[in-house]
Amino acid sequence: MDISDGLLIGLQSAMQPTTLLYCFFGVFLGTLIGVLPGIGALATISLLLPITYHIPPTAAIVMLAGVYYGAQYGGSTASILLNLPGTPSSAVACLDGYPMAKKGRAGVALFMTTIASFVGSMLGIAMLVAFAPGIAELGLKFGPAEYFSMMLLGLVAASTMASGSPLKGLAMVILGLLLGTVGTDVNSGQARFDFGVPELMDGINLVALAMGVFGISEVISGINQKREGQVKEKINMRTMTPTKDDVKRSIFPMLRGTGIGSFFGALPGTGASIASFMSYAVEKKVSKTPERFGHGAIEGVTAPEAANNAASQTAFVPTLSLGIPGDAVMALMLGALIIHGIQPGPLLMTQQPELFWGLIVSFGIGNIMLMILNLPLIGIWVAILRIPYNVLYPAILVFISLGVYSVNNNTFDVFMVAGIGVLGYAMAVFKFEAAPLLLGFVLGPLMEENLRRSLLLSRGDMMTFIERPISAGFLAFCAALLIWSAIATLRETLRARERKADFA
Amino acid sequence: MTNRDTRDILGGLFLTALGLFAAWYAQQNFDIGNLTRMGPGFFPVGLGLILAVLGVFIALPAFFRGGEGTNVQWRTLALVTASLCVFAFTLKPLGLVFSTFAAAFISSLADREITWRNRLLVSAGVSLMTYLVFSLGLSMVLPVWPWSP
Repeated sequence: MDISDGLLIGLQSAMQPTTLLYCFFGVFLGTLIGVLPGIGALATISLLLPITYHIPPTAAIVMLAGVYYGAQYGGSTASILLNLPGTPSSAVACLDGYPMAKKGRAGVALFMTTIASFVGSMLGIAMLVAFAPGIAELGLKFGPAEYFSMMLLGLVAASTMASGSPLKGLAMVILGLLLGTVGTDVNSGQARFDFGVPELMDGINLVALAMGVFGISEVISGINQKREGQVKEKINMRTMTPTKDDVKRSIFPMLRGTGIGSFFGALPGTGASIASFMSYAVEKKVSKTPERFGHGAIEGVTAPEAANNAASQTAFVPTLSLGIPGDAVMALMLGALIIHGIQPGPLLMTQQPELFWGLIVSFGIGNIMLMILNLPLIGIWVAILRIPYNVLYPAILVFISLGVYSVNNNTFDVFMVAGIGVLGYAMAVFKFEAAPLLLGFVLGPLMEENLRRSLLLSRGDMMTFIERPISAGFLAFCAALLIWSAIATLRETLRARERKADFA
Repeated sequence: MTNRDTRDILGGLFLTALGLFAAWYAQQNFDIGNLTRMGPGFFPVGLGLILAVLGVFIALPAFFRGGEGTNVQWRTLALVTASLCVFAFTLKPLGLVFSTFAAAFISSLADREITWRNRLLVSAGVSLMTYLVFSLGLSMVLPVWPWSP
């Protein structure tokens, strides 16, 4: 089947009324929570997971994906208007977006970020269409050894490339893998780490874990956080119209941003946040007038926005073609597929073409919806920024409790969320990142399975991972990443010590 | 600023303890097997040991560098946790409406700037909204009132 056939199947599947409805719901909700600081795509998707039990798998994934890329559109709104990023990846939009707003050009900034988001997304989708099928075909040749090495690479990349200490990231991955072993072992039927609690025999509930480490700790940190600033600007079509100069200055930065975003999105472990920071740095470097950056340069807003949107589309490349999630959101997406009994991996494209292509076509439709939501209806989102957090968070907490309860109609899971929430908050206080933990948790059972299988095939010979060339390539990349981050950390420590010595 | 990076020391040592415990527990209770035929204990024991080593690596350098103090919002943490537990305890005996009201009210105590009147209004609003969305909208099977079956 070639790409045009695929797109046709996808169009049929995505144009079904239910799918369209859930697509709209997803992007609408995504924009909403993107606009609101203090609740992110991860928390929302984990909140929605229980609902996906009741709807068809394609519609469910389309909706969850819509929340994810929709949040990238909404995220910059709060950055521009309040200097407060709505999502982590839109933090860069503060740098030049807020100065633009202070000069009374908030409308232009909002307009141009939406255009940049649209351009980035659409080109990102094109990349996804171009590369995913080929990679899936390559994936068909993979044996358990390749899978194990690739997952290892994904986990190492996620922990070392993330912000913060790579060691702590690695530790979180391992903790996630360990949490993934709780429950009945599929090979021997032995219950592991259940401590005599019957509810733990089925393992830790993914929804409970995700909500605990993301939702609860986000809410706790959000309460009593100082929120300054009020939206004063009048945003309407007239104040939103960019000048010819704005457009001219943005074209190439948007394209460069898309390129950078597509690359980092598709790499496992890196994603929208890194892409937007990189793209800002690149624009500043290539600009003839770098001094304008930080004072309301339009390309400082449009390039990173194009980058983070492109990244959030190409992030689906490894997820859909190989079944390897690149970040925590993708891990949840895989979780949703598994909940519906669909095994993600290279066979997905041939076995579930309606789902695979339907999802891709829905990205296109969703982005058109987002354009409409974000240009004529921008006023609604600006108004929503005025809702105080103390009205929102009790509702979020109750929704979390009910959502978790509804997975198994079981109050035990709600207690579990409370417990995991304490752990999640402790991690936030101690500055341990939660995303690698979730990634490890989702990949854990798959990794153990593939490790066992590959060693069974090689009769216990560890060399199998190195003797097979593709697997060896992944492992070499892994080692390079580890060495590189070890050197970077060491350098950082030495520099910090020198600085300290200078002070003394 | 503190003399030592307490955050990483405590975090690292906790991970080491957890890793050692997991490895010990798995080794005691599950069959390890061998490389060709791994038992259910192999993976957890390995992970536990790696976690313990990483914990040491995180904690050790932290003894020799300064760090920022931690700011724990104990009150918020306690109230949010209490809100979840109250929901879990009361959902079956009291039903959805009262249970969500209580949970929302307890969590609203965490914010200091909201007035008592608004606390009640927000809690009632949340209770009504969950009833409309989950019970009527998504037709989930939930006990709505204390006297509902």
